[in-house]
Amino acid sequence: MSERLNIVDHNQLFRQDKYVRQREEKRAFEAPCSPEEVTATLEYTKTKEYKDKNFARTAVVVNPAKACQPLGAVMAALGFEKTLPFIHGSQGCTAYFRSHLARHFKEPVPAVSTSMTEDAAVFGGMRNLIDGIENCIALYQPEMIAVCTTCMAEVIGDDLSAFLANARQEGALPEDMPVPFANTPSFSGSHITGYDAMLRSVLETLYNKSGRTPQPGHELKLNVLLGFDGYTGNFAEMRRMLGMFGATYTILGDHSSNFDSGATGEYSYYYGGTPLEDVPKAADAAGTLAIQQYSLRKTLGYMKQTWGQQVFSISTPLGIRATDRLLEEISRLSGREIPEALKQERARIVDAMMDSHAYLHGKRVAMAGDPDMLIGLIGFCLELGMEPVHIVCSNGDRKFEKEAELLLKSSPYGAEATVHSGQDLWHMRSLLFQDPVDLAIGSSHLKFAAKEAKIPLLRVGFPIFDRHHLHRYPIIGYQGALNLLTQFVNTVLDVMEEQAPDHSFDLVR
Amino acid sequence: MEPAVSNGRLEVSCGKKIPKSTPCPRPVPGEASGGCSFDGAQITLIPIADAAHLVHGPIACLGNSWESRGSLSSGPELSAYGFTTDLGEQDIIFGSEQKLHESIRYIVSRFAPPAVFVYTTCVTALTGEDIEGVCKAESEQLGTPIIPVNSPGFVGSKNLGTRLAGDVLFQHIIGSTEPEQTTSHDINLIGEYNIAGEMWHIERLMQQAGMSILSRITGDGRFREVGWAHRAKANMVVCSRALLGLAVQMERKYGIPYFEGSFYGAKETSYSLRQMAYLTGDRDVERRVDKLAAREEMRLSLELEPYRKQLKGKRAVLYTGGVKSWSVITALQELGIKVVGVGTNKSTAEDVSRIADRIGDDAEYIPEGGARQILKTVRSRKADMVIAGGRNMYMALKEQIPFVDINQERHKAYAGYDGLLSLAKQLVHTLQHPVWELTAKLAPWEEETEFAD
Ligand code: SF4
Repeated sequence: MSERLNIVDHNQLFRQDKYVRQREEKRAFEAPCSPEEVTATLEYTKTKEYKDKNFARTAVVVNPAKACQPLGAVMAALGFEKTLPFIHGSQGCTAYFRSHLARHFKEPVPAVSTSMTEDAAVFGGMRNLIDGIENCIALYQPEMIAVCTTCMAEVIGDDLSAFLANARQEGALPEDMPVPFANTPSFSGSHITGYDAMLRSVLETLYNKSGRTPQPGHELKLNVLLGFDGYTGNFAEMRRMLGMFGATYTILGDHSSNFDSGATGEYSYYYGGTPLEDVPKAADAAGTLAIQQYSLRKTLGYMKQTWGQQVFSISTPLGIRATDRLLEEISRLSGREIPEALKQERARIVDAMMDSHAYLHGKRVAMAGDPDMLIGLIGFCLELGMEPVHIVCSNGDRKFEKEAELLLKSSPYGAEATVHSGQDLWHMRSLLFQDPVDLAIGSSHLKFAAKEAKIPLLRVGFPIFDRHHLHRYPIIGYQGALNLLTQFVNTVLDVMEEQAPDHSFDLVR
Repeated sequence: MEPAVSNGRLEVSCGKKIPKSTPCPRPVPGEASGGCSFDGAQITLIPIADAAHLVHGPIACLGNSWESRGSLSSGPELSAYGFTTDLGEQDIIFGSEQKLHESIRYIVSRFAPPAVFVYTTCVTALTGEDIEGVCKAESEQLGTPIIPVNSPGFVGSKNLGTRLAGDVLFQHIIGSTEPEQTTSHDINLIGEYNIAGEMWHIERLMQQAGMSILSRITGDGRFREVGWAHRAKANMVVCSRALLGLAVQMERKYGIPYFEGSFYGAKETSYSLRQMAYLTGDRDVERRVDKLAAREEMRLSLELEPYRKQLKGKRAVLYTGGVKSWSVITALQELGIKVVGVGTNKSTAEDVSRIADRIGDDAEYIPEGGARQILKTVRSRKADMVIAGGRNMYMALKEQIPFVDINQERHKAYAGYDGLLSLAKQLVHTLQHPVWELTAKLAPWEEETEFAD
């Protein structure tokens, strides 16, 4: 097309005079409080008194930083080849899961629902499940269907295993189609426990189906688990590192290609994932390496107990020391030396950290996210000389608190930190006002509190709805450390420049 | 266009004919389906910006959905807060009424909203809690309206939820307050959600013609102003069939005439303004609308010219819900775009007949099948672009098809005369992007060389 045309963004559009005036006129109808009253109340919500009241709150959750179990189960299911996530419950949740994941990864997300309605609520959802299976096989031709429940199906007590047996009997479900299933009510756990439950079920189902007996250590291969991971780049980085070792491995639950496919001109429901036949063989691997713990408890338990796997797990390896530990373990499990190239990479990243250290040193940060992510972030912040101050984990538990506190105690930079598991982002807001910090780290949900507190948000974790492509860059390993460092330090510099008086608007930083 | 209920300007009371209410289609198990009734109710009521919206249930319903609306507020932001009782196992077993009581009290004491909407969800509907009772008791205790919204996900589709939300407005809110002043030119907009600020465009036009919005139901709405909706001269139901019932009920109870209209496209906009003016019964306002429409249409056609040139003859597949399916067609036709495929899965028989009026059998009707069907139609009808909701965006892009978002989450306002201009710009912009050149050609190594042996 010849002429190029310009479009005004709505942000600017509605700042135009006519709209401003119109809004003011409208206020007359609103019968609002006086501006003084509004300001006074707003100020009050920043006080210590208000904070205490806020923390005394028991019943209601305000701005949660977690999602529910089935969302995690969908992600786990999409880690396997030609697998259709199938959610037993009423239809709304499924629409939410699809859009939640689509907004983060900017990718289409296949997932279907049994669409239970009122009659199903009364008489049970068996018919919906059986008809649904028949339907989705015809429409989507999956090789595996991964079924999870929503809270609704759990409350009426639908028995998935009986339903599935009936589906097979009726011939709606082919004899040889594997159908792992997980009970994932939203009223317990969160997206990370749902991930865990589904992954475990997939491993168990495929393994049992193969009729093998485990021979751990029989193969030189490693099993690698990344858990509930919103970064497709982490998968690529993991492969790169393992490739440098020359290690052979199987990633159990690799959703990266389903959430990062190319625009080839042809849309497909399935773009990749761990091949189904690789799963039973994984029982013979030399060892299992997991880079999340809180989202893999049941799965790792199963692998240890039933497969007799030797398992090494750490929380998301962010920063130098965590990566060191990871590489040492890879070396031990694979029986190979840490490659020279990776050692050089480490030195380069350490160099980069030194280059930037002055700007990050002593910066006080608040962070919110999933437990594994937070453990990683705390560790990295301490290495950078940043001071974690407020740590809010909506889906954390006692064990997480203890681990986080132990880690914080290991460094003088952690001295001021308090860990709040089970709390929400409205608690975080109080913390930010009562004890201000320089930076916030977390998902997009944290942006509102950060904006009010007038501090920049470093977007790390899940979900990130309002920035593009961050998930394509790894945050684990040395390379990930460099990526995060780049993001951190440049944000700090941006803020500095914005605030700099003319005389210190320097060219070189 | 053909007016929805009344015929032309002869009949004052438009609501004599009760719209046929065909039941919303049941979702089919095993397919990718849209949102639930809870979602529909939430989407309808959340734009009431100064109220608190408390979701009573486990984390699922709110945890995956809060802060994703595209409705803008010009003032209060309380409705953007995600409040939930976040029920756990213990609550399911031992009941959660107490928790609900406490949550309501907490919200009222800390946020002092004019009202709290309490949403039932699948779980709290199933466990049979007396949510109405709790709301009633707390309303009395606290002196703040606590409004139960009984629309759990499993009762059906999103549309049904919208309808139920309309009932809630009618039963609990409308008629509960009185405006400080009224004029004879007060109109309510029903089913306008102020997506990307669309309502502000419309409001400006109405002001220019000497009319005003008495209650916004619900885009950029305030609780109190919804309460005095019963004092309006007329109701306009904007692009939301599901809320037609509300207009009917208001006509029966308060004698407020209504009509159904849309603001997509210049013709529809002019029609809607005229219809409003007509219902105010003021010749002067009517004259002003006529002038305004003539002036705006003239201006618009000048401004549109360069875009029309670029869009003429382009072919589009439109996949959107309900009323929009036909109203957007008109807008696209005004831009010279040929609609070669249209989704009808959420349309009523009436919607479909309106689609037919506009495009006849020239286009493919896509009743179901979602993604696959859309793509098939694009290919078979050689369409240049897909215009649909965000849900279908990424799959269209995988197929390298230019895509324009028309639903809830977009950031562009398409309503009114200015809106049509924005739409034209957006379409041209989308089609112009150099990335399509990239996708139209093969990578150099994929090109077949003539001399290959
Ligand atoms: S279907 Fe039920 S449980 Fe799911 S989001 Fe809707 S109301 Fe909540």
